[in-house]
Amino acid sequence: MKQRPDPLRVVVLGGGTAGWMSACSLAKLLGPLVTVTLVESEDIGIVGVGEATLPHIRGFVEKLGIDEAAFMRATHATYKLGIDFKDFGRIGESYVHPFGTFGEEVAGVPFHHYWLELERQARADPIGHYSLAVTAALAGKFRPPTTDGGLTSTYGYAYQFDATLFGPFLREHGKTLGVERIEGKVVEVRQDTESGDVTTLVLESGKELAGDLFIDCSGFRSLLLGQTLAGEWEDWSQWLPTDRAAALPCSHVTEDYAPVTSAIAMSAGWRWRIPLQHRMGNGYVFSSQFLSEDEACAAILGAVDGEPLADPRVLRFRAGRRKASWQKNVIAVGLSSGFLEPLESTSIYLSQMAITYLIELFPQRGQIDPRDRDEFNRLVDMEYDRVRDFLVLHFHATTRDDSEFWNHVRTMAVPDTLAGKMELWREAGRIEKYSDGLFYDASWIAVYLGQGVMPERHDPRAQLPDPVQVQRAMGVLRDAIASEVAAMPGHRDFLNANTQRLAPLS
Amino acid sequence: MSEPRELPRRIVVAGDGPLGVLTAIALRRALPRTEVVVLAIPPDPAAFAERFGTALPFTNRLHDRLGIEEENLVREAGASHRLIMRYFGGAGHDWQGAAGYGAAIDPAMKTAFAREWGGGPRNAGTGAPPRSLGEVLAAAGRFAPPSGETDSPLGEVDYALRWNVPAYRAHLIGIAQALGVHHERGTAKAVVPDGAGGLAALAIEGVGELSADLFVDCSGSGAALLSAMPEMQWIDWRAGLPTRGLAIAAPGPPMVALEDRASFTPLGWRWELAGRDGRQALLGVPAGASDEAIAAALGSEPDAIVAFAPGRAAAPWLGNVIALGSAAAELEPLGGIAQDLAHRQLALLLELLPGRSVDPAERAEFNRRSGLMADRAADWLAAHYAAPAPTAQFPDLTLSPELFRTLDQFTRRGRLPFFEDAPMLVQEFGALLQAVGVPSGQGPLAAADSTSEESAARAFEARANAAFHAAPLYGEWLTRSLAG
Repeated sequence: MKQRPDPLRVVVLGGGTAGWMSACSLAKLLGPLVTVTLVESEDIGIVGVGEATLPHIRGFVEKLGIDEAAFMRATHATYKLGIDFKDFGRIGESYVHPFGTFGEEVAGVPFHHYWLELERQARADPIGHYSLAVTAALAGKFRPPTTDGGLTSTYGYAYQFDATLFGPFLREHGKTLGVERIEGKVVEVRQDTESGDVTTLVLESGKELAGDLFIDCSGFRSLLLGQTLAGEWEDWSQWLPTDRAAALPCSHVTEDYAPVTSAIAMSAGWRWRIPLQHRMGNGYVFSSQFLSEDEACAAILGAVDGEPLADPRVLRFRAGRRKASWQKNVIAVGLSSGFLEPLESTSIYLSQMAITYLIELFPQRGQIDPRDRDEFNRLVDMEYDRVRDFLVLHFHATTRDDSEFWNHVRTMAVPDTLAGKMELWREAGRIEKYSDGLFYDASWIAVYLGQGVMPERHDPRAQLPDPVQVQRAMGVLRDAIASEVAAMPGHRDFLNANTQRLAPLS
Repeated sequence: MSEPRELPRRIVVAGDGPLGVLTAIALRRALPRTEVVVLAIPPDPAAFAERFGTALPFTNRLHDRLGIEEENLVREAGASHRLIMRYFGGAGHDWQGAAGYGAAIDPAMKTAFAREWGGGPRNAGTGAPPRSLGEVLAAAGRFAPPSGETDSPLGEVDYALRWNVPAYRAHLIGIAQALGVHHERGTAKAVVPDGAGGLAALAIEGVGELSADLFVDCSGSGAALLSAMPEMQWIDWRAGLPTRGLAIAAPGPPMVALEDRASFTPLGWRWELAGRDGRQALLGVPAGASDEAIAAALGSEPDAIVAFAPGRAAAPWLGNVIALGSAAAELEPLGGIAQDLAHRQLALLLELLPGRSVDPAERAEFNRRSGLMADRAADWLAAHYAAPAPTAQFPDLTLSPELFRTLDQFTRRGRLPFFEDAPMLVQEFGALLQAVGVPSGQGPLAAADSTSEESAARAFEARANAAFHAAPLYGEWLTRSLAG
């Protein structure tokens, strides 16, 4: 028999996406070790960031025991094969960063070196033609990947959904997992006078909520970690200067839904275009240093192609993270922990990642061990830092000189860790290797090549095989991908054929 | 527009031991238009990265890639399979535990079936149940390497090879010759700098100057080429590893077994390597050990005692000189880790293969990753000394921050942090810690879930049963393979 201590009382502050993701995960996976109470207020809105996601969310949904179809129906979700970037490296150019790979390595040499060699000899097609995910994305096709190790298993998928519906969906699910929900506003946070640990949240109603562990999902306010514990903030706005988003939902103008999120560069940032079942999500992420809020709202109203369904709503944020997301007995998850702008749809991933590490390092026998807290903070920092470098690359790797914003990001000094990665790519066409964290070789290659960062030299072995034969072999791959994509259903058709995934028409 | 690097015209590999010849094969296969010259260097008794005929599962993959077939190693180089290392005395006199290989091993496994079929000798003090299929099969003396069919019950069993070193080297030389690798027997007298931080040539006695674009130093612990580079720096591991010498017993009679054994003695770990052409006992000895104590711990008078100082080159690639194996890192060969590390460094060189000229960023990336690999290999060895009995014996060893974190997380929570470029999988590291007797804690997921242990045990029982029945007696399999 296992000896179990009394359950740890976990209090989650905030009922947005991060809050309900945290509450559901802890209740589901740590069951008898915890009691989970979530306090939220209907008077406090949620940001609802993260309309677009990364493939990791599929594992999250599955782990919670949620049916994918029910989840898609409830959140008006569509499928996503990657992100289509327009006008980033240069106006008029575009590329897809796919959830998938480009070709295969041959004789120990990665595919892109052979592609660079053919490109030099003007024998190559665009690199996206050698990626099933890119080709399907551009053709508007979708079918779930297989797991047989063949061509049809060379990609993954995520969802595009209405993030304001995800929290409420998880709230319903949380009830079945035994999460207690309390409605109310926190007016006072009590701390232990000796340790400084948070002991109690006092609500407007006078109700007192005591806990052993507090998960701060209060959004940008960061009520517990940022305000009560004065957790230090590391500012990254010198590398990621966007600090506002003007969001504007609008109607669909076409029958089809693109199975990709679009990111379209603008004069002071970029705008997203996310097709959901019922509407198109749009938003202009910009830097207030270079553009006023009114100008941004006007710009997004002018840019969308559908009928606006609301007035533009401006969100404010800043790039960076807490120096430590876990301090004393408070763990910040989501925006209270840090913020990286949504260019690569990482917001929900970053919450999911923090929750995963929290569960792995969850206090034992009711005691927080500082070594576990340090380990959590080390892992969270590593994740944030790696995502940050990848995001900065999208802005820095440009030839655009048509606005102050692009002049700034093109000429700014980048983090040393990114400078080293770019140097290795420029000199030798190689990707600095890591296996932990987010965004591996294929992602870096997609952005480097997509934004016109060509290496000076590539692997000497790429010139060994006869170029005509390499061209033929690559042609075979391209044609196999093309015929596979031709046989795939359209994204909308696939959804229509899976009616249990469709939300009822409102 | 990106240009391909110019192909190297000639590469010189200094050292014609197994590692030098293997490196030449790898380079020649990767660069068939490049002349590859292997230069003879007097054998180094402290070249632990190639002197003993065993490595770890990674080597099997490298061999495959280089067209060195396991079947031929069995036929021609006395190769045999090791499924587990069994450790004795790590947590007291009666302690024993086994560590297998691969991602499928589960350190938390406990089953009735496995206890019945495996678990080692019945007189063992712990009676710990087996934790991997390898352990079940090793105890039953049954195994045949899976031949690649996807649904084989033996498919998840990973293994290491042992071989006869002279026969292995001869086999490699045959392949190298067929590939057109040149062999230069003259003695290198001096290095000729290229004036740009690298080498232009080696001055060979009676031959003259042998120039090359790249020089690979496989010369053993003396690092004949790397040590000629003015920027050469050495990182000392002695604070974390107690061994200062290796006592080598005279080879014993042939022994076929699916496991090798390591025992903790009053001096350090004694390791016995089974082999079809004779078994080999080795003992890591600390500074100041007396001859009597060494003979007692080794179980016989040593044939030789080879002194060494654990550590690694701060940057194994300087200029156009790349050091592999014992020239890049000196560590005890316990369990095959030294040769495993050498082969990983070779694979890294293949991944980051330069052209005729060297790009500094690429060299820096090689040095970064090669350093991570070596440091984690040192942690793997140091973990052997982190068990209770060795800790009592050597209380003053310093743990690297990474190993400290691993031990802390493992003992309190049963968790193993991931480290980039670590040679061993986290599952393998966990299995080692269990086997040497480092106590394991339990993580919250396991604590919260009462059903998973039972169902995992049932699943393991079924897999073990299937593997047991699919595997022939190993001795019979060997006889058939050698006859066929």
